[in-house]
Amino acid sequence: MKRRLQALSVLLLLGLVKLPVEQTATATLREARLLTAMPDFGLRDQLGQMSFAAALGGLRSLVASFTYLRAYNAWENVNWAMVDSLFQITTRLQPRYEHYWDEAAWHMAYNAASYYLNDETLNPAVRGKLFHEHIRRGHDILQEGLRVLPEDPRLWNSLAELYERRTYEPARAAECYLKVAEFTGNARFLRFAGYQFAQSADRAFWQRGYDLLRAAYDKNQRPPTLINTLKDLEKKLEVPAERRIPESYVPVPSGAAVPG
Amino acid sequence: MTSYRAFSPARIWTLATATVTQLLRMKILIFLLAFCALVVAAGFAFPVLNPEQQLKLLKDVSFGALQVFSLVIAIVATALLLPRDLEDRTLYTILSKPVPRHEYLLGKLLGVLLLIGAGLLLMDLAFSAVLWLREKLLLAQIIQALEAKTPEAVAQLQEIVGKQGLNWGLHLGVLAVFWKAAVVAALALMISCFASSTLFTVVVTFCVVIIGHGQGLIREYFLQGGTLAEPVKKLLSALLAIVTPDLGVFDVVDNVINGEAVGLGAALAMSGTALLYLTGYAVVSHLLFVEKEL
Amino acid sequence: MSTAPEPTPAVAVENLSKVFKAGLGKRAFVAVRDLSLTVREGEVYGLIGPNGCGKSTTMKTVLGLLAPTRGRTAIFGRSSTEVASRQAVGFLPENPYFYKHLNGLETLLFYGRLCGLAGAELRDRAREMLSLTGLEDAADRRVAGYSKGMLQRLGLAQALLHRPRLVVLDEPTAGVDPAGSRKIRDLILGFREQGLTVLVTSHLLEQMQEVCDRVGIMAHGRMMREGRVDELIAVENQTELVLRDASPELLAGIRELVERDGRAALVRSGQPRTTLESLFLEATEEKP
Ligand SMILES: Nc1ncnc2c1ncn2[C@@H]1O[C@H](COP(=O)(O)OP(=O)(O)O)[C@@H](O)[C@H]1O
Ligand SMILES: [Mg+2]
Repeated sequence: MKRRLQALSVLLLLGLVKLPVEQTATATLREARLLTAMPDFGLRDQLGQMSFAAALGGLRSLVASFTYLRAYNAWENVNWAMVDSLFQITTRLQPRYEHYWDEAAWHMAYNAASYYLNDETLNPAVRGKLFHEHIRRGHDILQEGLRVLPEDPRLWNSLAELYERRTYEPARAAECYLKVAEFTGNARFLRFAGYQFAQSADRAFWQRGYDLLRAAYDKNQRPPTLINTLKDLEKKLEVPAERRIPESYVPVPSGAAVPG
Repeated sequence: MTSYRAFSPARIWTLATATVTQLLRMKILIFLLAFCALVVAAGFAFPVLNPEQQLKLLKDVSFGALQVFSLVIAIVATALLLPRDLEDRTLYTILSKPVPRHEYLLGKLLGVLLLIGAGLLLMDLAFSAVLWLREKLLLAQIIQALEAKTPEAVAQLQEIVGKQGLNWGLHLGVLAVFWKAAVVAALALMISCFASSTLFTVVVTFCVVIIGHGQGLIREYFLQGGTLAEPVKKLLSALLAIVTPDLGVFDVVDNVINGEAVGLGAALAMSGTALLYLTGYAVVSHLLFVEKEL
Repeated sequence: MSTAPEPTPAVAVENLSKVFKAGLGKRAFVAVRDLSLTVREGEVYGLIGPNGCGKSTTMKTVLGLLAPTRGRTAIFGRSSTEVASRQAVGFLPENPYFYKHLNGLETLLFYGRLCGLAGAELRDRAREMLSLTGLEDAADRRVAGYSKGMLQRLGLAQALLHRPRLVVLDEPTAGVDPAGSRKIRDLILGFREQGLTVLVTSHLLEQMQEVCDRVGIMAHGRMMREGRVDELIAVENQTELVLRDASPELLAGIRELVERDGRAALVRSGQPRTTLESLFLEATEEKP
């Protein structure tokens, strides 16, 4: 009996000692991005889903793979609601895997949206509504993903493309391309941002686009689109003639070529 | 007659290797073969998926099997050890030799850990080989399909595929799986020191393992949920957080599969936590076992 | 019997009581009550008594497998609670059983390593024990296929492996066929010649009679009788006349008749002696 009491007290003591150790270890591993703090996705999924995901332990990734395969199946059967809900589970299970967010959004904003737009059996008003709703859904998925992975260039790029090609919001697309450039360090995306700013309706954005493209030009990045856009912006912004780029095509000095 | 020593690593080793043989002769190797078949199947199934997903699925299935293997052995094998020795009265002959009881316990625990460790190592090797092969094949396929010829383009593809391919982080992921299994084994041994049956040990350990995976949530609720409005809930969560281990600490696998590197700090954090649990449970086991009536 | 101060006894049990606590609601069970016994170095001591009288419990307490509720036990002066007390002891438990997955030789090697033996010395010793117990032919067979008698002999081999000074044998002949039982008794007689101390239990009396120097008879957890076997039992080529209210004249007449017979001789007269068997039945039927 005495030994049992000793055992119990050691167990409780261990319990108290381990709490700060567990906190520290969890913090360290979260910082190393090896553990994921359960992201707060809003009131819908609270403790229930969180503890479900926790209980799966290290099998989350495997289960996510299975739900992903099922989503793939649902896509083949053109069951968009199913695709959406299965991807929702998949992304909850493994929120740090960018590919799931990206593909989920792509299915909604492109595949599902276009499917409804082209569905002859629906009346045009419904088709338009469903088209926009699914683009919106894709947009929301990317936003959610970016809350978990705020520095993920792939998701920023997808969001930029969605603004550019689906909702036609060039200024927003430009901001997203700037993020991509920031997180990849690839100058090409600065130019993409510049093109999008150039297409917006606001003079202030034109100026930002001009600055970006001019800077690229000065670094000898001179593909034809850049030159054309830059000339266009010079006109719109009424840049004084002496500061404009030369009218004729300027060959790029050899050795400084950057494709794109 | 040789002179008696109070602590003898040789005796512990003898007990540990006997435990390993005991478990091995329970045909545990079959499981390893099944694992290899599964890995190969997962490596080449679902060719419709994109290459990144194919590699991920291969890793998911392999790590899933690794974890199931290690946890099942940790719970079931450990739960069997003490009751079986007691039932067969082999415990009488062992403990009537000059073998301190804590050495007996350490030997048993070490035996289970050796078996899990060796099993995981073999599975890691098999899985690494398949993953490496699959990665190379997929890369060749993509390069051919995209007709990538410039060294830069090839390097870029290599980087994309490589992120899902074989890397050191994966082996450290296996280490995390091992630590979790080790903690669970120590827990099962501790429970079997006072349990009345194997089934009881298995069921209780299994419950603690389930709760242990959510211990992080419970602990954070208790440490941070500042309101004193629900004292009962608070007390309950405190109690659960104290008596169960945080097994979630070792659940780095899904991020490791995703290509995150395991740094030295992370490896130390996991190992340190695991060793704390192991020591604690070993001490409690000893206290429960040292005067146990056989 | 000498009256010189006793050297450290091989086994000392002093006022041992062992109570098994039962589950909730059930009465605790007293398996051994206030038992004392001493086994001197070099003697063969038999603890006999019916099943369930507490023999095994006493042995397990001596070996530190059970903790005494009251009293103490010691081996060569060392308390049974010390692990070191077990280094000079070999124990054959009741119905021994070994790891099924090992063969005979592997089993002995395993126990030998636990006793600190190693290498060639251990192998030689293990082989020696196998031949001593007649198990050489079964050395490579898995223990799972051993018969009861073989397990018993393997248990003996295991107990003797590390050259203990004391062997504790719990029911070594139980469930073994007569030939096997004979062999085990011969081994015990061999131990006595080698100067080993033996503490052996049995519920079979005539078997103990020929190997034990001293016996203790237990019943209901108590020691009922204890003493040298030849003091406790009568010799078989003697006939006893047990008379009630015999007058001195009658006794004198009987003596006269015996003398006249020429062949028979009166060895002694006095209080009657009993056989171990009747002593046993008598002792164990006494209510505690
Ligand atoms: N662990 C135990 N728990 C409860 N009762 C026990 C235990 N071990 C033995 N007993 C009881 O103690 C009594 C003595 O048992 P034992 O010493 O094995 O007798 P034996 O003289 O036949 O060897 C028996 O009635 C047995 O039922
Ligand atoms: Mg008995």
